[in-house]
Amino acid sequence: MLELLKMCGFEGVEAASELPRIERAFNKLGITAGDIERGKQRLTRYYAIELKGIREILRLLVLNTVDLVLAREEGKSKIVYGFMIPGFSVFTSALVSKSKEIHAAHLCPQFQIVLGTIFDKMSPILEAAESKWLKSGTVAHCGNVKGLVGLLVQDLIPRPDLLITSGVLCDTAPKSVDLLHELYGIPGCCYDTCQDREISEYPAATKRIISMAAKSLRVVTQRIYDATGVEITDDMLQDILDARKGLATGLDKLQELMETSDPLPISANNQILWEYMGAFTFTIDRTPRAIDAVNTLCEELQARASQGLGEVEKGAPRIVAMLPSHHSDPRQDYVVGELGMAIASTDRVFTASEIATLEDPYERMIWDIMQGSLFHSTQRRIPLIMEGCKRLKADGLLNRYHVGCRTVTGDAFLIKEAVTRELDIPVLLQERDDFDARLYDHEQFKRSLEVFKTMLDKRVG
Amino acid sequence: MQEERVAAHLRDRPAQLREAQAQGTKIIGYFPGNYVPEELIIAAGALPLCLVEGGDTPPLEASVPVIPHIFCPFARTQIGERSLKRNPYYDIIDMFVAPVTCQHLKKVAEIWEYYGDMEIFKLGIPHQRDNDFELEYFTNRLRALRERLQTLTGNEITDEHITGSINLYNRMRELLRQISLMRRAPSPPLSALDFLKLNHASFYADPAFMVDILESVYGELKARPQAAETNAPRLLLIGPNISHGDYKILELIRETGGDIVIEEVYEGIRYYWHTIDVNGDPIESLAQGYLRDRVPPAFMRYSTKKRLDFALKLIADFNVSGVIWYELLGCETYDAESYFFAQKMEERNIPMLTLESDYGMAAIGQARIRIEAFIEMVRGGLD
Repeated sequence: MLELLKMCGFEGVEAASELPRIERAFNKLGITAGDIERGKQRLTRYYAIELKGIREILRLLVLNTVDLVLAREEGKSKIVYGFMIPGFSVFTSALVSKSKEIHAAHLCPQFQIVLGTIFDKMSPILEAAESKWLKSGTVAHCGNVKGLVGLLVQDLIPRPDLLITSGVLCDTAPKSVDLLHELYGIPGCCYDTCQDREISEYPAATKRIISMAAKSLRVVTQRIYDATGVEITDDMLQDILDARKGLATGLDKLQELMETSDPLPISANNQILWEYMGAFTFTIDRTPRAIDAVNTLCEELQARASQGLGEVEKGAPRIVAMLPSHHSDPRQDYVVGELGMAIASTDRVFTASEIATLEDPYERMIWDIMQGSLFHSTQRRIPLIMEGCKRLKADGLLNRYHVGCRTVTGDAFLIKEAVTRELDIPVLLQERDDFDARLYDHEQFKRSLEVFKTMLDKRVG
Repeated sequence: MQEERVAAHLRDRPAQLREAQAQGTKIIGYFPGNYVPEELIIAAGALPLCLVEGGDTPPLEASVPVIPHIFCPFARTQIGERSLKRNPYYDIIDMFVAPVTCQHLKKVAEIWEYYGDMEIFKLGIPHQRDNDFELEYFTNRLRALRERLQTLTGNEITDEHITGSINLYNRMRELLRQISLMRRAPSPPLSALDFLKLNHASFYADPAFMVDILESVYGELKARPQAAETNAPRLLLIGPNISHGDYKILELIRETGGDIVIEEVYEGIRYYWHTIDVNGDPIESLAQGYLRDRVPPAFMRYSTKKRLDFALKLIADFNVSGVIWYELLGCETYDAESYFFAQKMEERNIPMLTLESDYGMAAIGQARIRIEAFIEMVRGGLD
């Protein structure tokens, strides 16, 4: 175990002092000695653990997981979870900074990484959800929601005093939160807006839906107060936003490095690790350590780039991938690099750039989120993706779509058609569940990537 | 008699619509689900046309290059019908009002918007409805729709016009309600399929004509002598969608001896349990009626318990002894909710059968066997 902890950035005194807690939490999660061995192998194979920045991020992920699993037994009197709410880590960070009695977290990135990518142990959790209301099969329920439901119905994590989700892009999560309330007595709430923007109405329509979302989010804040007794004030949110500015800056730098370095300085499957940092809960006094981790990684990757070191050969085809790396299976992005392609970016950063002067901090936060391409309708989203591909001079588009999500999946074919027609670059469509490694057929995926690579080589050559 | 009148009217309806369109009347399409107030369309001097076709496979095949398989067959049918151009209703629309409801129909509207060959108005439906700001949002969207319709038609929509059309549709809803309630009788005077076809006709027909038909049907049914009670199990049908043409399951249930006496279906059945208030601001009344004064569909937040309570009320009022849960493949909210309903029905010793459809014939044989066994069980023949 200590060896694994070392790979995850725990050293010396801290490793020894955290070991009992980590063992307790891992026992609860059913992680066995065999799993630890598998975890070490996977970390070595798939992650750049030789980099201190990566180890630090893994350390934070493990600690976040352990804190959550042990929250009740370590005396937290109130627990609040957010699920699938972009930007919500600001609220959870405000809560934990205000009161030591509260544990608040955004689910389930920590479990996708720790249980999924490191130990390959998500399957029993997904199966637990499938035995309830998120059945397997052609209905294609989202693996992320299954993760949440599986963790809760198996009591692998403490039942919260409030479970919050957003219905901005998804109906499965709110329905599951409702069912968790009806069947397990877990109090839940949801914030929403209406995605009814028409292309001719921008940016006025954005203001309209932001205003609605902000009001809805304030209702959630009231529910948090009712559940915990802590009032989240606008000043508290601003303090957290200020404290996390360095994190956002560091993450932007990492993105820039990935976009501009040739060769790619690190395998793309590591990217999910740092992208999750933005979704994590940190008390205001722990935030600097998170920022340090990201900045350390930046420096290390910068050094690699300066030395011309990388994961794929210099001049390898540069591709844009839709959606982040697989959340619980590192093999899928790893093989892309193995075959000599560089994922320079994902579409996460292809945002609209509407400007608005907004006084309300809730509106400001949601405004930024709503600029993301996923939050736009097809007619706005497709041009954003094409502009992004053009800006990055992408040689191809790996259009993997998360089949558990109607929002993401609905545009997949039209994106391929438009990018092929307008940009004349190869597009590979890949259907998968971003949170479920069971649906992955390695040989089939690899073969399709090989064909894709041949097309890219022809173009680059 | 009324059946023939309806059939003749619907046969001529596409030609009537074309003629009206040629004379300058605008045709306004919309999706079912009871969030688009036809009252506003009529008040604008335009003609409402609900796109509610389904149950057939060629449109699904036509939709394959555009939309992935995880979208429900009803949503894919809408894409397919427009590209096939075989159904006149899908090719006659001047403006389409797309209620932003579930992810499936939201995406269909976005795809049509992307194609750009039809003017689209997106009508945001707040998925929560208890807070004032949610009702206000919907009210404002209805005001925006009013503006858009005025611009499109060139006709002023006065409050009086709206109130007049509310009265018309209130009468239609009232008649459908009265006809439906007659099915509480020990021997229901009309089958679920007949009721559904009547209901579907109301999405295509001229509303004044439809009210006249419903008046006649109601009068005829009332005058009909009560038939002898049968031993057919009385069933409640619950589901997201029964589209015009998606009748295979209903036929199977009838053939195997079951009798659906009441339905709780979100899309495809005109909602008739509510009456819109005609006092006060008519837009506010429409917003209140269409958003709040109704049973929420499964995609609405915090709707599960409310929907169960309503189903239990229907079970009691219509003396139901079994539930058929009929969902479309890929419908994530109804699929998730079916688990809850099955559990709650079991606690009350009410048998429930869950069926899924992708409109194909392949699963029909298996569905028949399952329905037969279910009917037998409800009758008490199987444990």
